[in-house]
Amino acid sequence: MLKKLQFLRQRNQCIYSVLISLLCTAVPMGAAALYSRLAGPDPANITVLFVFSLIVLSCSATNYLYGILCSLLDVLWLGLTQDISLCRLLVTFVGFAVITVFIHTLMERSASQASLITEREKQLTEADMEKTRANLLRAISHDLRTPLSGILGNCLIFLENQPLLSEQEKRLLVVNVQQSSHWLINMVENLLSITRIREERPTITTNDELVEEVISESLQKMEKRHPDCAVRVKIPEEILLIPMDVVLIEQVILNLLENAVLHSGSSEPVDIIVESEPRQVTFTVRDYGNGIPEDRLNCLFDGTDYSAVHAPDAYKGMGIGLVICKTIITAHQGTILGRNHEHGAEFVFTLPKSRDQENPS
Amino acid sequence: MNARLSILVIEDDKAICSFITAALNGNGYRTVAAFTGREGLSLAASLCPDVVLLDLGLPDVDGHEVLQKLRCWSRIPIIVISARTEEQEKVRTLDMGADDYITKPFGTAELMARIRTSLRHSSGNFPETVYKTLNLEIHFDKRTVRLNGELVHLTQIEYQLLTLLAKNSGRVLTYNFIMKNIWGPYTDNNNQILRVNMANIRRKIEQNPAQPQYVFTEVGIGYRMRENDDFTPP
Repeated sequence: MLKKLQFLRQRNQCIYSVLISLLCTAVPMGAAALYSRLAGPDPANITVLFVFSLIVLSCSATNYLYGILCSLLDVLWLGLTQDISLCRLLVTFVGFAVITVFIHTLMERSASQASLITEREKQLTEADMEKTRANLLRAISHDLRTPLSGILGNCLIFLENQPLLSEQEKRLLVVNVQQSSHWLINMVENLLSITRIREERPTITTNDELVEEVISESLQKMEKRHPDCAVRVKIPEEILLIPMDVVLIEQVILNLLENAVLHSGSSEPVDIIVESEPRQVTFTVRDYGNGIPEDRLNCLFDGTDYSAVHAPDAYKGMGIGLVICKTIITAHQGTILGRNHEHGAEFVFTLPKSRDQENPS
Repeated sequence: MNARLSILVIEDDKAICSFITAALNGNGYRTVAAFTGREGLSLAASLCPDVVLLDLGLPDVDGHEVLQKLRCWSRIPIIVISARTEEQEKVRTLDMGADDYITKPFGTAELMARIRTSLRHSSGNFPETVYKTLNLEIHFDKRTVRLNGELVHLTQIEYQLLTLLAKNSGRVLTYNFIMKNIWGPYTDNNNQILRVNMANIRRKIEQNPAQPQYVFTEVGIGYRMRENDDFTPP
């Protein structure tokens, strides 16, 4: 409905402006004819004056319709009231000179306007980048502050109440500090990985890497962080060499695994499934837990309403982690998505094969 | 070996230094700490420690320089402590003569394992004839590889690769080092052939290539084989 209205309005405007422009050519022509009858049979002067007045007006007028009305008035005024039969040649020369000057200024002006526009566009994109950067920074500092205040608080309690605490309580405090520190290290590693994707470079530098090696190293790191987590891996027999920045992809796998272990709310082993497709390799990280809440599914990777989503479950969320996953996979020309399956959640990302690895099978 | 083994820690961060010293002392090593590169170099010359732990980010001299100067006159095992996660950096230090590296943050167990491995390889008293761990057994003199008691058939290159790793078990070997040892000094820098051979070995000895038990990948750097079981720490 709205679209239809808009369309009609646009069509009306179009017809209107065509009519006006027809009118605006017709009226000065008539005026010029009138002038030639009154001032003598020299058409050169008439055209010069006509063009001149039009340009002067187009220069100062901002509105199309307004400009036309003014030029119309001006032509009429020139044609009817001014006596220019003093020296026909002089008028022609002066007229040409002034026209040249004006055309020149006009061109200058349009050029400066063009540069102004590009400048403004640049500012806009910069502002945009600045905005995402600010968003990320805000989210990060929020994420950093929480575990840090946790560490500080635990240390303070330990130091101030040392004689009163039982061994078990002390242990608990230290375990808390340890967990928060682990989380912080994890965070910092994520941030470091993002600095590998520089803005000036369109893509990252990739090397052919064996998929099994990448996964095995991610699992080793995972085991260091969460010694009791269980992961099942299903990987095709074929030797898969995929171009990637291995440190970044490892980070993605680690983030997804950590998400699955920490947030699924289940101790079922997490599955990593690698499938080879003709043009790409698909990695699936599947957990068997609570799944992703419906309202979060749409904004998993954008991190936009991060704090809102984030507030309820303190700092344990990996909002930043997913944003970073998305950035990394996009830089690899791959895709990533998160969804629920029957018994939990799964994250699927793909990486394109190199040209010579593609096969039609 | 009743005398306590001495370890020199060259590390400028006091907190990390005290953590390492405490951990080492708790494990029966004698430790000396140096906070600058120059101090470390002179202490290394006067004390002749059994192992050096070297941090790369030192205030006065670059860690690489310390490594180079130490290597001029000494074969002491040097373990580089690095906060840098850049793999190129690690490869460089390893190719410059460091025995191993450990990335911050690390745990005590990891540190102790690295030190034990370096000590074992530096002593070099008893050349091993058998590599045995979990279900894998390699007899170097008989040239056999057995998994669960059954012979594994490997190609010539695969066998050479596996034994090279097994003889250096517990240590990381860079791609460069392995390439030069197996394919000779004039091979090109493309290590694809090595990767494919490793993938084939893994398919022969590992149950699941993505969850290896024997040969571990240090992506971007090289390979590390599981420590030999026969080895008892000094």
